[in-house]
Amino acid sequence: MQEFTWPGRRAETELAFDLEKAALRREFEQRLEECGTLAFRVARGVLHNAADAEDVAQEAVLRSYRRFARLRDPSRFRAWLVRISFRLALDHGRSARRREQRETAWATDLPKPTPEDIAASNEFGRRLEEAMAALSEKSRLVLLLTSMNGHSLEEVAELLQLPVGTVKSRLHSARKQLAEKLR
Amino acid sequence: MTCDKYENALRLAAASNGELDAKLARHLERCSTCRMTLRAERKLFSRIDSALRAQVNEDPRPGFLTQLRLQLSKELSARPGSDRVWHVAGAALALVLMAMFYPLVNARQSSVQGNLQTPTIKVPQRAGVTQSARASEDLGVRSRHYSKRPVVQSAVPKEPEVLVPPDEQKAFAQFVACVARGDAIARAVVTPAANQTVNRNTELPQVSSVDIADLQLGRARQEEWIDQTGSSE
Repeated sequence: MQEFTWPGRRAETELAFDLEKAALRREFEQRLEECGTLAFRVARGVLHNAADAEDVAQEAVLRSYRRFARLRDPSRFRAWLVRISFRLALDHGRSARRREQRETAWATDLPKPTPEDIAASNEFGRRLEEAMAALSEKSRLVLLLTSMNGHSLEEVAELLQLPVGTVKSRLHSARKQLAEKLR
Repeated sequence: MTCDKYENALRLAAASNGELDAKLARHLERCSTCRMTLRAERKLFSRIDSALRAQVNEDPRPGFLTQLRLQLSKELSARPGSDRVWHVAGAALALVLMAMFYPLVNARQSSVQGNLQTPTIKVPQRAGVTQSARASEDLGVRSRHYSKRPVVQSAVPKEPEVLVPPDEQKAFAQFVACVARGDAIARAVVTPAANQTVNRNTELPQVSSVDIADLQLGRARQEEWIDQTGSSE
């Protein structure tokens, strides 16, 4: 029995389409290892939680794959992925905070942490997270990217399509603000 | 208190982690308090940087990339099917819409054609002057706004249309058919007014006076009365 085909759709067109898709997928998979880690690290820098960061990174990579074929300049892919991951992580963080607020409002009867628990927790890390959250999104992204291994100021400037001077000034300002809050 | 003026310079030096200014370096050689402050500031920035690096350079768990590839494969296998489903749904929707709107469009086209065939009375109009502009002129008002948009030319002729009530449409159609056939009665009705145009600036067409004879009142005879009413009193 002959398989049904849509009228006007030729086998050559299908073959070309499949080949193009396969090439696109190969190209994407070549970048996947590097880009998956990059997306995870950006998300991890915002969310301070590895499990949430993985979820966000996965969503960012899938989104970027869906739009990969439409990307005009493939060399801009990393910058694009960084932005997607950063935005998704911020959104995720906001919704998590709202959820947390709702849950704490209902769980006021829960036992409060003892002084020992508080002392045991990483006080500096907590304060650093708070200080980071108070930074502007622009400064925060610069700080995260410059803290990543193998990212020089020039590379960060290229990723964010900013002059190196602007990156330097944002970095300096961000570090100063963090120090003021942690001093 | 002389150390106060070096406070900002110390913090800047600690933040930038660069070489010290010569003046500040000379002061630090003499002042142990400022040396301690600089050391504390450097330690703080170093802690911040190391905490950030530790946080940001954490690797995902080993299974993360495998899971990512799996998700990507699912995405790839799901997309062509879903595309086809959407194509079929789109085509079906288009067909339904065409079936719904075709009778409406057809009816509209036939009504426009019908309007074009209806007889009309020609009213002379000045070319290029719109109705509203003419109304303004009539009232002695000069319009201050002139639209830059070109006047849209309608496909329907500019003569006013004859609107026929629904219950008279059949009779009107018969009349038009009579005119088209050139029947004598229809010609007699139409011919006198065929070339007549109504000018709204002149008076209405003059109608010649009709002489009505005086009524003759008198006693009716009984026979005539019986003939007319069919009864006798």
